[in-house]
Amino acid sequence: MDADKLQTIRAIHDSFDKKQASVVEVTRHFLDSVKKKGGKDGLNAFLTVCENRVLERAEAADQILRAEGKVPRDRVPLFGIPLGIKDNLTMDGVRTTCGSKMLDNYVAPYTATCVERLESAGALCLGKLNMDEFAMGGSNENSAYGPVLHPTQPERVPGGSSGGSAAAVRAGLCVAALGTDTGGSIRLPASYCGIVGLKPTYGRVSRYGLVAFASSLDQVGPMARTVEDAAILFDVMSGHDPRDATSATVPKGACREALRKAPETQAEWNGIRIGVPKEYFVGGLSAEVEKSIQSSLRWFESKGARVIPISLPHTQYAVAVYYLVAVSEASSNLARFDGVRYGVRPAEAENADDLAAFYRKVRAHFGPEVKRRIILGTFALSSGYSEAYYRRACQVRRLIKQDFATAFEKVDFIAGPVSPTTAFKIGERISDPLQMYLNDIFTIPANLAGLPAISIPSGTETPDSLPIGLHLIAPPFQEERLLSLAHAFEKRGAAP
Amino acid sequence: MADSKAEVQKIDETLTLRVADLARLELSEDEVRTFTPQLRDVIGYVEQLQEVDVSGVEPLTHPLEPGDSALREDRVEIFADLSTEGYRVPQIL
Repeated sequence: MDADKLQTIRAIHDSFDKKQASVVEVTRHFLDSVKKKGGKDGLNAFLTVCENRVLERAEAADQILRAEGKVPRDRVPLFGIPLGIKDNLTMDGVRTTCGSKMLDNYVAPYTATCVERLESAGALCLGKLNMDEFAMGGSNENSAYGPVLHPTQPERVPGGSSGGSAAAVRAGLCVAALGTDTGGSIRLPASYCGIVGLKPTYGRVSRYGLVAFASSLDQVGPMARTVEDAAILFDVMSGHDPRDATSATVPKGACREALRKAPETQAEWNGIRIGVPKEYFVGGLSAEVEKSIQSSLRWFESKGARVIPISLPHTQYAVAVYYLVAVSEASSNLARFDGVRYGVRPAEAENADDLAAFYRKVRAHFGPEVKRRIILGTFALSSGYSEAYYRRACQVRRLIKQDFATAFEKVDFIAGPVSPTTAFKIGERISDPLQMYLNDIFTIPANLAGLPAISIPSGTETPDSLPIGLHLIAPPFQEERLLSLAHAFEKRGAAP
Repeated sequence: MADSKAEVQKIDETLTLRVADLARLELSEDEVRTFTPQLRDVIGYVEQLQEVDVSGVEPLTHPLEPGDSALREDRVEIFADLSTEGYRVPQIL
């Protein structure tokens, strides 16, 4: 077994087909890597490892492989593929902490739809991945279980909140992972760690079994080394789910097929219009990031695509809208962590004078960022303030969505940076929440408008080779076209 | 509507404690001291929304369009009174 070859779904399936490795051998290889590099002494990316669960399934897969002689790709597209799952998605019988002490001992009694679909398609879930507490953060420093380290520069952050997912994929601890994206939590860590991260259209992937942070913004998506692998995961888990009332009645994805139709000929490229918002190239954008994005845009132009300057005039308000809408929804969603319905029940709460006092003792176990956001949200929704804050934010949210609708009358895609900078140092920004929030300026608009968006590696910043991500955004439910453009971009360096 | 600019100035430790109490959150003294200026920063920052002309703009609380996610067609089957837009129920008062 050649471990270096076990990086993509296609490569692993090839080695199964050629009998170079069994499913159990591949699974053990990944479990060993997780033990060596994934825990507290390493990247701190894994919070729970499901060794027995996954080995049992691997043995069953080997029996199928022996019986059929080759990988049943069409029927079981993720056959024997080791994945990691962000720890805010449930798996029946598996601890689900959300990166919070509040759920330290919570074992989920059911499996999230997206995970269930991946497992039905043959995926082997190795375990649960570290994250900012309740997905609130952009650096993974807000996990109650300690920060995840950047996979190549351990003094830096991997990005967040799906930082465990990004670090694990980049470090080869799993082939791909699930992340969730409320304001950039898939795309930002994908960009910082140099992998592919897709936030699907709101409603395209079921949220059933996802612990809610901000229900009108949260979306589950794949994080992988290649666009093809992200496409395979997306196709499997997308599609309507009657258990999620906000699941869109749109067919499941057919992205893998769409990759074969990625633009190649001059005529195909001439038909592609890429909008570049002037508001995405403003102060605060690092020179190296800007250079990389501009050179990516020139590459698209060199192929024949039309790169068109556009304007999204309400971009400057996106962060303000987001930090009112997201915290308001969070303050409501997190009311259920009261020690009765959900949450730890500490000894000091048992002697509380009344129920309200009991709640306060229990809820003291939230970390500082979660408390900060609950307070902000409670303030924004409170009597006398909700008109000025929450309602107005929702009005401006509509204007932001309309900006995109207007832009997409003239262009097929929108391109820009994912983040103003590359991965920053652990501890560098933690004391200034507002500065941390402003880091989400380019990713937030796609969540507010519900649009599909992807981060794809575009280059690196010297001297530490820190990855830079190109951001591509498409109209609603156009993941197929989005991934096929990203696929063409990904292959740009390869020989024809 | 509250005069929100003036409200930013009013964010002090008492207000932090009052809002924390509404949210049933116990804060340590340290947390109150740290959070109060941070809340003032963030609320000060979101004040810029006041400059946007939102007259006549319907609030958007959800990104899906009507019809994107219906589990089934809405159907009025009981208490139907098709002569009006509502439906009729037995008298309750």
